[in-house]
Amino acid sequence: MTSAPFEPTATPELDLRRRGIRLGDVLFKGIAIVAALAAVVLLAFIAWKILDLARPAISHFGLSFIWTDVWDPVKEEFGALAFIYGTVVTSVIALVLATPLSIAIALFLTEIAPRRIAAPIATMVELLAAIPSVVLGLWGIIVFGPWVRDHLEPWLQGVLGFLPIFSGDPSQVGILPAALVLTIMIVPITSAICRELFLRVPRDLVDGSLALGSTRWEAIRGVMFAYAAPGIAAAVLLGLGRAFGEAIAVNQTIGNRNVIPTSWFEPGNSLGSMIAAQYTGATSVLQAGSILYLAAILMVISLVANVAAQLIVVRFERARRAV
Amino acid sequence: MKRVLALVLALAVAVAVALAAGRTDRAAAKPEAGSLVGTGSTFVFPLVSKWIPAIDQAYGTRVTYTGTGSGTGIAQITARAVDFGASDAPLSPDQLAACKGCLVIPWALAAMSVPYNVPGVDGRIRLSGPVLANIYLGRITTWNNAAIKALNPKLNLPGTKITPVYRADSSGSTYAFTEYLSAVSPQWKSKVGFNTAVNFPAGVGARGSSGVSGIVKSTAGALTYVDAAYATTNKLTFATIKNRSGKFATPGLRGIKAAVSTLPKKITSVSQLEIVNPPKAAGKLAYPIATFTYVIVASNSGSKAADLRKFIYWDVTQGQKFGPPLWFQPLPVPVQAFAFRELKKIQAGT
Repeated sequence: MTSAPFEPTATPELDLRRRGIRLGDVLFKGIAIVAALAAVVLLAFIAWKILDLARPAISHFGLSFIWTDVWDPVKEEFGALAFIYGTVVTSVIALVLATPLSIAIALFLTEIAPRRIAAPIATMVELLAAIPSVVLGLWGIIVFGPWVRDHLEPWLQGVLGFLPIFSGDPSQVGILPAALVLTIMIVPITSAICRELFLRVPRDLVDGSLALGSTRWEAIRGVMFAYAAPGIAAAVLLGLGRAFGEAIAVNQTIGNRNVIPTSWFEPGNSLGSMIAAQYTGATSVLQAGSILYLAAILMVISLVANVAAQLIVVRFERARRAV
Repeated sequence: MKRVLALVLALAVAVAVALAAGRTDRAAAKPEAGSLVGTGSTFVFPLVSKWIPAIDQAYGTRVTYTGTGSGTGIAQITARAVDFGASDAPLSPDQLAACKGCLVIPWALAAMSVPYNVPGVDGRIRLSGPVLANIYLGRITTWNNAAIKALNPKLNLPGTKITPVYRADSSGSTYAFTEYLSAVSPQWKSKVGFNTAVNFPAGVGARGSSGVSGIVKSTAGALTYVDAAYATTNKLTFATIKNRSGKFATPGLRGIKAAVSTLPKKITSVSQLEIVNPPKAAGKLAYPIATFTYVIVASNSGSKAADLRKFIYWDVTQGQKFGPPLWFQPLPVPVQAFAFRELKKIQAGT
């Protein structure tokens, strides 16, 4: 047995160190993998559980549940159409209103406002996102709803009353008040992201465009928008995801009537709102199952919105590279 | 740097796991004998809150009750997650079957009021069952409708649009109210029916008594239904309702007492306790929208059986005296006797 002073395999730790492997790295890698897997497993588990609990309704009503417009716990007839309509319409109105508003806020903060004003305003807008939705909904009931009924809706009716969506009696709860509360909820998110995006547009590009003689608006439109477009699209769809899933604030302002209203002044209902309102009190297995069927539909709609967001980002990205 | 991060992460995971484990431990541990846990009806919550300290003093039984809604109460006792559930509506046949050997015992009695917000009317508005049904069916749409005018010849009613407001969540209040509408209106019965939640053909919905009264307060022309105690403490103006003697009754204690005066002398089933729209014999004062509210327990309650029997016995006897200040009318004697008989069925089991 010859003595070997350079025998490093005697201690495994030394060997690992020689190979450039450290305990911390291994541990970190392990935790990261577990966390990522846990997210996947959790999602799969939730989806499976919802489908499992919805099974009585899925086997009883089949796919026709989706296009049936009835919710009658007495006769045990259930369908999702009114709620899908309410969810999609309120969210899309919110999106259409919130997008230009958010971009305008972000442009103001990055391009127009002096820094001293921009910073506090940016903080305030972000603080708007910190208001719990239930508080916002409460404000919707007490303050905003009556204002919409007494001022905004009569004005809309005066100007655009020939459209069926602005017909009927103004009401403090309904599709429009709910959509406006959703708008208030998603503006902080989308405007904060847009602001980040505009800040990250290379100054050289904007300056170059200005130097070539474009006006400020042309520089914003041609350079900043083009550069930030994929990000804006993603921000908007993030806001849409939030609007789809919002339950409590919508529940407080939409009026909870399980029908498809012609007018936006009339009450309707959304998927999230209905789930929040009736799950705990379901009186039969079929009703509980139907509510979970609604939950499954909501998940699918949100998933579609998310996938669409990613596709749009990819397309924009490709278009930008091509330019 | 990486090592520090890894350590922090590992620590966070360890703490989270330990916390989660601790929580499940606590949840799994059944409360020791001498304590009872219950949940359900928010309507009966003020009364149970009065009972809890008194029963602690009388027997040393510690009771925990949370007002989560009748539906949750039923679900939790069905899952045996609590020792008793409370519901304003009796269990449906479906629910009774699912609950496997549950007993439904009446333990309090109160009334639903019909608050409204009609500015500029001096005097209390009078309504009748058929008129209420037609309002909620969307057939009577303004306050100066001929049918309402006929009931209120002395009032100068405005042409304000009526907004009927209902509970969007499942609730015992909706059960009692729609049960009444079904009793007085064949159209309501065939078109809508009654349950803890129904398909309301008109109006707007909101969650909880606070939600519906919030809309009524801020909407001219709105009306809704909430329990009489809630309406009084929140200073809502409620209508008087025409009973079968042709008189207009208020949801006060005398009105409820009269409404239950025609119950049979011997009660053998919960189905006999439906007291909406009482017969003419109930008298001039009888208020037509009164309702019992129930405690639900498992007949096989293991080590809790003795404590449950004691607790509910006390509630339906001595506990009733806490009712009147909260607008709960003490249980009539035949209902008490029925409760006693049902109580005996709570056993430790084998």
